[in-house]
Amino acid sequence: MQFDSNLAVQVEDVTIRYRATYEANPTIRNAVLKWGKRGQRSKKGVRIIEAVKGVSFDVPHGTVLGIVGANGAGKSTLMRAMAGILSPTEGRIIVNGRLSTLLALGVGFNGFLSGRENIMLGCLAAGMPMDRIQEKYDEITEFAELGDFIDLPMRTYSSGMYGRLAFSVSINMDPDILLIDEALSAGDAAFKEKSFAKMKELCAQARTIIIVSHALGTIQELCSDAIWMHKGELIRQGRPEDISDEYLRFLNIGESVLALEDV
Amino acid sequence: MTTAPTVRRSELETPIQVFQPHKASLPPMRPYLREFWRRRRFAYELSRTTQKADHFDSAIGKVWLILNPLLLSLVYFLLLEVIGHSNAGLAGFLRIVIALFTWYFAMSCMTAGATSVTAGGKLILNQAFPRALLPFSSCITAFLNYLPTIPVYLVMYALGLWIVPARDYNPLVTGVTPAEKSIESALAGPSWVLLWQIPLVILLAISGFGLAMIFATMTVYYRDTTKFLAYILRIWLYLSPVLYTATTLEQKFNGPHHHLPHNLGTLMLYGNPLGPALAIMGNIWFEGIPPSVASVVGAIVWAIVLIVVGGYFFISRERDFAVRL
Repeated sequence: MQFDSNLAVQVEDVTIRYRATYEANPTIRNAVLKWGKRGQRSKKGVRIIEAVKGVSFDVPHGTVLGIVGANGAGKSTLMRAMAGILSPTEGRIIVNGRLSTLLALGVGFNGFLSGRENIMLGCLAAGMPMDRIQEKYDEITEFAELGDFIDLPMRTYSSGMYGRLAFSVSINMDPDILLIDEALSAGDAAFKEKSFAKMKELCAQARTIIIVSHALGTIQELCSDAIWMHKGELIRQGRPEDISDEYLRFLNIGESVLALEDV
Repeated sequence: MTTAPTVRRSELETPIQVFQPHKASLPPMRPYLREFWRRRRFAYELSRTTQKADHFDSAIGKVWLILNPLLLSLVYFLLLEVIGHSNAGLAGFLRIVIALFTWYFAMSCMTAGATSVTAGGKLILNQAFPRALLPFSSCITAFLNYLPTIPVYLVMYALGLWIVPARDYNPLVTGVTPAEKSIESALAGPSWVLLWQIPLVILLAISGFGLAMIFATMTVYYRDTTKFLAYILRIWLYLSPVLYTATTLEQKFNGPHHHLPHNLGTLMLYGNPLGPALAIMGNIWFEGIPPSVASVVGAIVWAIVLIVVGGYFFISRERDFAVRL
């Protein structure tokens, strides 16, 4: 396998397609009914969505890469593919290093469990050994500033607390590569400041961070490189200032361009 | 869709992972199993915490784990006594209890396993890990729930033996086959053959895990699998030697048939994925005899078939789960 060891992530001509069904729930009944009228099956109920279209880019170690783009640009799908959760339909992604993911939904997958248990399960699922989790535990809770809430079921948390916990789990796992999907918006100003500081610390240690954000300020302040995606395609890669300028310019006139396209 | 072969560049460095398209086939199994084993603690903790959360709002909580099969035993006992005109008395009840405790273990592997993937939706969307850990965790739950039923049963069994004297049903000793006596109304006495319960539970656990993976995958594609499962399991119970012995099953259905094979009863027993294993249970607890070679071989073969087929069915499709949830 030829692979440049200076790269943390190499995305090679990646296309991700998935089938979406119109039905809220795929059921046997519907399958049987559709099977009865086979001819119409392909047209009815199923649509192939091409979320990412032939995207290629390299992320060298120590880069803080920002990804911007309008809703439906395929940013989150691409992040999931880099995390190994979704698989590319075409192309390939090579990841060199330990990943930590902070995707939109965060860690709290079971609201009836306490924050403590959710942290433990999230870390165990990521493959961390129990003794390391216990070591990291205080760091995580302290960073998240949850206090007594850490032992309460997560359904009692505010969305800010939720986001803070998710962020501090991800960032305290000592990742080589950190994937963050619009998570900085969760905390208040003070927490945001702290997160910035922590991320800069990670950058200084030559860790690689990939951030998806709608906040262009965040991208400009933190990132050393940026990518702009639109409707699954990579439009441009460049310096964060240039990319956000272009993206902003596009957004301003973009409305009318899209409006024309729709006709 | 993707494969994630993990290539170690050197001992100390972190692995390089490659995600690339795959057809519906297995990911490289060696790294998969290694990652699976490395996260076994996750499966255990997931089982423990989920159980805790499940019993959160129940007044007597975990007592239900024992009460459930006990009450169900009572229901079946009444059914057999009243409708079935069985005259088994206390011994009959005790036999239904052990049979249902054992059946309940295999059954809860399947019921909990079926929803394990759909219930773990958020985790699946946010973390990459071997998904087979989810049904595996369900089987751990089923096993942990099964454990406390053993002492409960042993106490009941001891009391039962005290009230209903045990009869010796070893055909080698008495020269009479169990079927010739009215075996419904007696308990087999305590003997070393009861230790067969240990390999039996292991075989049921392996089979249960295989079946859990099959139903978990089906539930991802068709959500109403779980609704059907309730009925499938009930019919399965009635067709299995749980409330009656394998001998009874074979005697009832073997014989001259017009359109069906003459050994229909035997086919029903060995064609049932859990049949041979449950036949072992009947041998050791009801008849007090060591299991037949055929049922032991049958149970081992079915356990291997189920874990291999279930594993293939699940693991070859698991990379598709994230887009299906």
